[in-house]
Amino acid sequence: MSASLATQQRPSFRPDERSAEQYRHLEIAATRAQKRARPKIVYAIVTISGIVAILLGQLFLSIVVADGAYTVASLQGQQRDLEREQQFLTERLETRSSTQNLIASAERLGMVASGNPVFLDLDTGAVLGQASAAGGSLAASGNLIGNSLVDPSMVIDPEAQAAAAEVAEDAAALEGESTMSPGAPGVNIEPESVSSETESSGPDPLPSPTTR
Amino acid sequence: MSRSSRSLSRRMAVAIVAVIAVFGLFTVRLVDIQVVRAETLKEDAAAKRVVEVKTHGIRGDIVDRNGVVLADSVERYNITASPRNVSLDGFERRTEAGETIKVDMMDELAKLGELTGQKAADIRDILAADPESDYAIIKKDVNLETLLKVRDLKIPGLYDEMVPSRTYPNGAVAGNLVGFIGTDGPQAGFELTEGACLAAEDGDSTVAISEDWVQLPGSRQVVNEAKNGGTLRLTIDQNLQWYAQQALAEQGSALGADWATATVVRVADGHIMAAADWPSVDPNDRNSVDASSLGARIFSTPYEPGSTIKAATIASYLDAGTTTVGEKIIAPGQYTNGLPSGSFIKDAWAHDDLRYTTAGVLKDSSNTGIAVLTEGVDAQQRHDYLRAFGFDQPTGIEFNGESSGRLIPVDQLDSISNITQQFGQGMTATSAQVAGLYQTLGNGGVRMPLTLVEGCEWEDGTVTDVPENTGERVVSESAADATVGIMENVVSQGFLKPILDIPNYRVAAKTGTAEVADSSGYGSDRIVSVAGLVPAEDPQYAIVVTFVKPDTMKTSAAAAPTFNAIMKQVIKTFRITPSTTPAPDIPLTW
Repeated sequence: MSASLATQQRPSFRPDERSAEQYRHLEIAATRAQKRARPKIVYAIVTISGIVAILLGQLFLSIVVADGAYTVASLQGQQRDLEREQQFLTERLETRSSTQNLIASAERLGMVASGNPVFLDLDTGAVLGQASAAGGSLAASGNLIGNSLVDPSMVIDPEAQAAAAEVAEDAAALEGESTMSPGAPGVNIEPESVSSETESSGPDPLPSPTTR
Repeated sequence: MSRSSRSLSRRMAVAIVAVIAVFGLFTVRLVDIQVVRAETLKEDAAAKRVVEVKTHGIRGDIVDRNGVVLADSVERYNITASPRNVSLDGFERRTEAGETIKVDMMDELAKLGELTGQKAADIRDILAADPESDYAIIKKDVNLETLLKVRDLKIPGLYDEMVPSRTYPNGAVAGNLVGFIGTDGPQAGFELTEGACLAAEDGDSTVAISEDWVQLPGSRQVVNEAKNGGTLRLTIDQNLQWYAQQALAEQGSALGADWATATVVRVADGHIMAAADWPSVDPNDRNSVDASSLGARIFSTPYEPGSTIKAATIASYLDAGTTTVGEKIIAPGQYTNGLPSGSFIKDAWAHDDLRYTTAGVLKDSSNTGIAVLTEGVDAQQRHDYLRAFGFDQPTGIEFNGESSGRLIPVDQLDSISNITQQFGQGMTATSAQVAGLYQTLGNGGVRMPLTLVEGCEWEDGTVTDVPENTGERVVSESAADATVGIMENVVSQGFLKPILDIPNYRVAAKTGTAEVADSSGYGSDRIVSVAGLVPAEDPQYAIVVTFVKPDTMKTSAAAAPTFNAIMKQVIKTFRITPSTTPAPDIPLTW
């Protein structure tokens, strides 16, 4: 030590400076207690990396959320399309349920109007009222109450329906063999395609809904 | 302190000052942005990215008492184009194979025209009309199917917009009541008057959108919620309404009548089961009838009802105690008491003095008999009875264009009209008011206000506009029941029995053949009616059928078959079981 001191030391002129310089170059070895008390770098690293992790997490979440926004937009679009379709089909159903169409369909199916009102008493089995022969049309000279939404193509035609049902069955059998569509439609549109085929002069069948 | 430690602390001080200075700078900047310039910055940002979105409220449906839809809100679409972005020469399109082909615009317009029902040349004219504009309507009100097909054509520059629209699935059934919507808004019927229930409010919200038109998550701010209209539930039974309209149409055209009405009212609460007009408009097509038939004549057009009012007269006199069912009177062929010389009141058939009881007067519909019974009954009292029955005042339904009819004020009565009002001439009433009279008689003398609306049902389940159900007594129960009992004889013993009778059912009815006044007095036109109640022993439904100015048959026999048919349908619809007791005998003559 004295040798190193000798080479390093500069001549000093004041006693306290000398000792200060002496002391300045003295390395004080820390005690074990002091070493343990020293702030560890691990904590700093952990803190900083924690902050970085949080920031990264935030970034990641916002990416995911933004991506979710695209999914949401696309699903909302699908939902709107489906709602429109449902409304369109409801409209069609209501038109076909109108009295005018029901009368025409009933006539086509060969139904006739009943005569006098007659009741069957379920308790006693008695027939109340005086029966008269059924027959004739409910609308003797044809339905006179107009409905511009109804056209003759909407009438239920039993023969055309039977034929179309056969065709649909064959087509479904074929499709079931060739393609296995996983989890595909809970919506069965076959009844729609049947009735739409009876309307030979009517509109094309609706596009079938596709789901992932 | 030593120099080294002083410089150390100086350096630390400098460092701290520097840190505080930078921190202070940041704070100032923060305050500046967040507080001072916050509003302007927000607006700028909003202008770039925030879009106002309108959500449509849906107009409420109109349904019948069973939920059958009479008026429905639907979406329709306008096919629009941006002429600026449409090149009439043609455009290029990438096929599925990947190659680019040139497409001729006229071909595409022809395809478009096939879907919309227009000629390609017409579409081109629309596009060429203002080439610089951003908006031109090619076709209005197409439905979803057509829209999807048009979109599939993938013509650049073609867009679409949604317009809320209205459809009436049952056409002219209850068309007179439901009304319709024109280009300027609701025009008639409940569409016009029930806006408080039906109308929807649009909502708006703002969203921030990205450059590729995707909504930024969490950025939606609702300014107003859209509010859907409520469902208006009518008391009408749609099937019965159709049947009544059909029956009127068949007989009305066979008779050559100007117009006709049929009303079915539930006696217990005054709910109207059917309010049929002929002709009746199809709200889907306003040109289906001429302009005078766009409303509901049942409520709007009063006329002199004739002998159907005699039931009110007899019930009033019985209640007032001025006569009894069996009182014996003599009905002259011509009644002249108290009338100016030369004037007389006569019956529909010529006869000498007839010995009627009061019951017989009503059953045979004798005008002179009524005149005899009217002697000594105070005019004000008679006027008050008629008003209590609902004449000369509104029904309470407040239907669009409703009329109150008219009773001649007591101080304006002359000696003739003093009597003729009691058999329905000289006064005017609407078909609805006549139906109200029979509802009262069938309900033991208690008048329930006529009701056409059951309520307005909102999405959250609340029901508003439920009508009050309080009745008013007009005549005593015995007077009303006695009158109904007399009217039963019209069916069981009258000359119209073959047409009006329904086997195993007790039916009460009253005919009316009213003269129609024109400029020079009463002419040869008639308004024929049959009004009645079923079942007579405990009335549940009142039915009134009226044909105005028939050509081929001018007696009430013209209305009888329709009355019978509608009554049968009422029995079937509401499951009225046959009567078990026979009709009692009431002396009609002496």
